[in-house]
Amino acid sequence: MNSLKPFLILLALAFALPWVGLIVYPSAKMKSIVTEVAYAKEDESKDTVFPIGRSFLASGAKVYASNGCAYCHTQMIRPTYAGTDRWRTGWSGREEDGLARETLPFDFIGERYAYLGIQRNGPDLSNVGHRITDAKWHYQHLYKPREIVPASIMPSFPGLFQTQPVVGQVSDMAVDVFDRDGIRYEVVPSGEAKSLVGYLLTMKKDQKVPNSIAVK
Amino acid sequence: MSTDTTPAVDDVHLRARIDRSLRYPLLFFFTSAAAWLAASSLLGFLSALSLNAPDFFERFPLLQYGKLQPIHLNALIYGWAMQAGFGVSLWLMARLTRNVLRNPVTLVIMGHLWNLVVAVGLLSILFGWGTSMPWLDFHAGLWPVLLLVYIGIVIWIIGMFAARSERTPFISQLYILASVFWFPWIFLTANGFIHQDDGSAVMKAGINAWYISNMIYMVLGPIALAASYYIVPKVTGRPVYSYALANIGFWSLVLFSGWTGMNRYMGGPLPAWLPTVGSTATIFLAIPALAVLYNQVKTMEGKLAWANYSPALRFAFFGTISLVVGVALNIILAIFPLGKTLQFTQAQGGVDLVSVYGFFTMTMFGAIYFIVPRIVGCEWPNGQMIRFHFWFSAYGVGAIAAFMIFAGMAQGHVIGNYTEEFTTAVERGKPYLAALAIGWFLIGLSNVSFVAQLGLMAIRRGRRDEEGPTLMHKKPEDYFTNELVAEKAAKA
Repeated sequence: MNSLKPFLILLALAFALPWVGLIVYPSAKMKSIVTEVAYAKEDESKDTVFPIGRSFLASGAKVYASNGCAYCHTQMIRPTYAGTDRWRTGWSGREEDGLARETLPFDFIGERYAYLGIQRNGPDLSNVGHRITDAKWHYQHLYKPREIVPASIMPSFPGLFQTQPVVGQVSDMAVDVFDRDGIRYEVVPSGEAKSLVGYLLTMKKDQKVPNSIAVK
Repeated sequence: MSTDTTPAVDDVHLRARIDRSLRYPLLFFFTSAAAWLAASSLLGFLSALSLNAPDFFERFPLLQYGKLQPIHLNALIYGWAMQAGFGVSLWLMARLTRNVLRNPVTLVIMGHLWNLVVAVGLLSILFGWGTSMPWLDFHAGLWPVLLLVYIGIVIWIIGMFAARSERTPFISQLYILASVFWFPWIFLTANGFIHQDDGSAVMKAGINAWYISNMIYMVLGPIALAASYYIVPKVTGRPVYSYALANIGFWSLVLFSGWTGMNRYMGGPLPAWLPTVGSTATIFLAIPALAVLYNQVKTMEGKLAWANYSPALRFAFFGTISLVVGVALNIILAIFPLGKTLQFTQAQGGVDLVSVYGFFTMTMFGAIYFIVPRIVGCEWPNGQMIRFHFWFSAYGVGAIAAFMIFAGMAQGHVIGNYTEEFTTAVERGKPYLAALAIGWFLIGLSNVSFVAQLGLMAIRRGRRDEEGPTLMHKKPEDYFTNELVAEKAAKA
């Protein structure tokens, strides 16, 4: 190969093909699907309203990301041909209502990034909002994971809590109360912890998909 | 490349001038890369430990697995791998194009900037701006700076190639060009789509997976292959066995690797054909991997035993074998029947490590053992330390990869059996995670010895006797290639 031009053209072509085929074109297509869904709720009946409302979607996801939660938790229920996630109790949604299903692209509407995850050092969180409905449980678990789940290897997150003197009654959400120098202190969740727990409590990726956009 | 390896005296002088011009930039890249590597090994050790003793780590809120692990990985990729790659590509390009490096000071400044951005990026993860997107964990605002600095560094490589004296490029040059061509492309694509575009959230995750795979096979991999295609013929004094095969290896890698990666999310909410294409392309990666291995074994034929003596040859050959092993393991992960059990377990991380450490890093060690004596003008202080480095690295990475894959099998088996408690999977994986910590400790030890030797070389405290290059064992009679003898004679 004496001239560089054919080399560079071939190289660019070999790179451009997967770039267009895997990245640019599917991204554009997926974007239009998402837009379609966002408008679909107007012409669907009430019980198929989509997407569902979620609290702390942006701020909670930020706390989720900055603490590296996605390094141990997935948000991806695989279909039956690709694993047994669908059958694990509580993972894939409200089994009793016939709503349990694998994860679909529409489950991430309104989110900046889908934290599908890397490993399952901890359980999948796709439907943790159905499994755990108590905010206090989450706070205690984030503060001292092994007091709630003895076998857990999750780090504890004292950084998500703050210590303050008790004024009047002890807070409902206090995870710890102790006395120091005759003053009562309580450990309560910080704003970040509240965002994260709000995000987890509303994590319910089993909503009914509107007929107009259901995967056929 | 000509078959006659006896160089003319002029040629030797030119090489010496090229090497001298590269001394400070290369020493800068290599020493800072090695320092990041040692730091990354330590962080890998701590990160594995934090999964074993979470209660102990409770006292250090910043040292949580969710932060240690991304910092460890990103230090390994952007601190060590990219910088070692810069140094090796610069040297190979300068030597192969016969160019003396101009403006080394500016290059060193660029190197400082790179280190600064990486350090800021790692601190940004530590202090809560991490993105939880593997290999793209830095604060979302840092990527344009990193990209600019990257271009500021590789511009030297491109410039030297443009000013080459030999019009027909050697295979190593093609690999390096492909690497510097692809990194800005995928880095811009990944960050642009993920951070700047308001598109589909799941596509972004897919793009992230695609980015990791392409970093391994199209950015880091080619630099390692460029180095081993240079080292193997040089050390054995033989031309590349089959140049046609080398070309097949190159073009098949270029053709297939761009399609790989999304198979990491097979069964995921992406359009199903994306992971499927990824799996298929991953299987086809066997072609370039086997082409490279066959070519190198044939080049070394009859002199394979030299890998016992030459550190460069031994590390490079280990790297090529790891490439094949890594591709084979990736194929296992990419096909449904086996992959679905191992998906979302420790296994994928172990397999990535075979590629990043077993293949890329080990080859870079070989290249550094080859290059540094030439640019500083003295030999490695101690062959035994090189041997120590090799075995601790080889056993370390082998143990880590094996244990992560075993851990993956144990976890995957329990998770797949949906009637078992999830916590059983955690408990089954735990012993392997302890072994993981030990593996990183071994690697850390080996890298301390590497940093120490490299430091001595950087201050030019190497051996200066008449013994010739430092070998890992006492040399056999016919060891020296003509080139090394001539180079030594010219310097004397």
